[in-house]
Amino acid sequence: MAVIELKGVEKSFGSVKVIRGVDLKVEHGEFVVFVGPSGSGKSTLLRLVAGLEETSGGTILIDGRDVTNLGPAERELAMVFQSYALYPHKTIRGNMSFGLEVAGFPKDEIRQRVDEVARLLQLSDYLERKPRELSGGQRQRVAIGRAIVREPVAFMFDEPLSNLDAGLRVDMRIEITKLHQRLGATMIYVTHDQVEAMTLADRIVVLDKGIIQQTGSPLELYEHPANLFVAQFIGSPKMNVLPAAFKDGRISINGGVGIEAGKMTGTDVANVGIRPDDIEISPDGTGLIHGKVDVVERLGSDTFAYVAVPGAHAVTVRAPRDSAVAIGQDVGLTFRPERLQVFAADGASLRPRPGV
Amino acid sequence: MAIVSKTANSASFRNSRRWLTVALALYFIYTFIPIFYVIVSSTKSNADLFGTFGLWFSGDFHFWQNLQDLFTYQDGIFSRWLLNTILYSVVSGVGAALFATFAGYAFSKFEFVGKKLSFALVLGAVMIPQTALVIPIFLLLSKVGLVNTPWAVILPSLVFPPGVFLMKVYADDALSNELIEAGRVDGAGEVHIFFNIAFRLLTPGFATVLILAFVATWNNYFLPLVLLNSSDNFPVTVGLSQWYALATSGSGGAVLFSIVMAGSLVSIVPVIAAFLIMQRYWQGGLGAGGVKA
Repeated sequence: MAVIELKGVEKSFGSVKVIRGVDLKVEHGEFVVFVGPSGSGKSTLLRLVAGLEETSGGTILIDGRDVTNLGPAERELAMVFQSYALYPHKTIRGNMSFGLEVAGFPKDEIRQRVDEVARLLQLSDYLERKPRELSGGQRQRVAIGRAIVREPVAFMFDEPLSNLDAGLRVDMRIEITKLHQRLGATMIYVTHDQVEAMTLADRIVVLDKGIIQQTGSPLELYEHPANLFVAQFIGSPKMNVLPAAFKDGRISINGGVGIEAGKMTGTDVANVGIRPDDIEISPDGTGLIHGKVDVVERLGSDTFAYVAVPGAHAVTVRAPRDSAVAIGQDVGLTFRPERLQVFAADGASLRPRPGV
Repeated sequence: MAIVSKTANSASFRNSRRWLTVALALYFIYTFIPIFYVIVSSTKSNADLFGTFGLWFSGDFHFWQNLQDLFTYQDGIFSRWLLNTILYSVVSGVGAALFATFAGYAFSKFEFVGKKLSFALVLGAVMIPQTALVIPIFLLLSKVGLVNTPWAVILPSLVFPPGVFLMKVYADDALSNELIEAGRVDGAGEVHIFFNIAFRLLTPGFATVLILAFVATWNNYFLPLVLLNSSDNFPVTVGLSQWYALATSGSGGAVLFSIVMAGSLVSIVPVIAAFLIMQRYWQGGLGAGGVKA
């Protein structure tokens, strides 16, 4: 277990700044997920922590020890790579033993530790096989096993599930959650998949353009996004965004009637956001905004209606699965004003956030 | 609507296959005729060599006699030449392949000052024929007193720029950065990673460069011709050409032609053997399963 602390960490590749001053503290046993679109710098940040990239500025502390200029091995972290990165010419046992052999552990202890971890990950039957004889899920388990065997102070995961098919990904996600509970170790996990982030994390760090956009628990991010980027990135389907303006103490959405503004930290309103689950379809002529149903997707558990609203992007609505909504229908859309997110022209949220 | 390309049964496929077969057959004949000529000629006596049709056997099978003459002429110096060639080729081949692997790995996986320039120099060196460098090499080695020693052939042959280029490209492709990083996270040093992880996955590339460098040295003529002057140090190429020169000069050496032919045949056998032995190292899929692309 370890506390990992980043202070003003920066990274440039040539003249391109990839990480622009990141401050972050990951507590003992915490599961932190870095999430963001590709090019956001999330993987680079993880690699900086792991010591696979050199920082251009700032310091990295592990348990109070400055490790900024230390190599990956001296940081005593373990890493699980997207491509698994198993040594193809070694057996599963060889792969899992390698780190301990390098560290000069006695043979008996290596064997004992590998056997133990293999049992934990249900790999005991495969120890003498080569990686190519294993399925994708098993290979990723080996990669995780190789990390566990060394008893590192913290685990780094770099998009470990991206190469697995959808079903297996859900299974492995659950396994990783269980593993975290069992080991109680500090873990940093990088993904571009916000569902993975929401389900795994104690705390999510949303990154974009090398800057932390927001840090918080999954629900905090969902309920109180700090800005438009976070609002749209977290949650599936995406939050609907409509143009809006502040007039006479009320918010006018898409040029329509004004609704009660509620608590706000400013009046520079440019957009409002509303989650698909917070919108209800009402008969034509009622509701706060109006549109025509463009597409209806019936997923079984939910029905998604995409409503074309004049002057705005299509609005996604999550309707009950037995909803009678039909394509071409004119509908009204209604929602509770307190569920509305309000954003300034620069994208910052105008809703006061608890604890900020 | 489906787009169906040529199948094995379509007339146009059979037609183009026929033409390709003819073209390849012609090319095969073109490359095989000299070898066939050597094989046929090595079975003939010196008289038959000039008295019978060049591309077919004569009635008199003189091969064993030729072989015996080859290995006994001038106190059997041909064996010495053969051993020299083997020594030069094996040491140069293994050395050049090792250096090429080190350099290719470094060019592929490390960032260092002057990397682009050095690699441009390697690429440039590929285009300079060794023949053009033989005189400077001679002057250089004569300064340090290495002329007319095995080192005079081996040292220059250890430099094999095409091998460096090949290994760089091969390492780019066959060796994922994540594998090396996994090794680093596991605590292994760079040397340990190279020999325990990287080298194993670079073996097919290594084998390719080894055989290319081996054959290049085996066939090298001009370099040893200039740098060696005692017959004891000659490789087969230089030795045989001396005999050939002796044969063409007339003066009683005419009997040598059939020996030169037998010698030529003997000298290509180890190369063919080397190709057959190394073949199994060109197996694909060595890295399969380690990383997911």
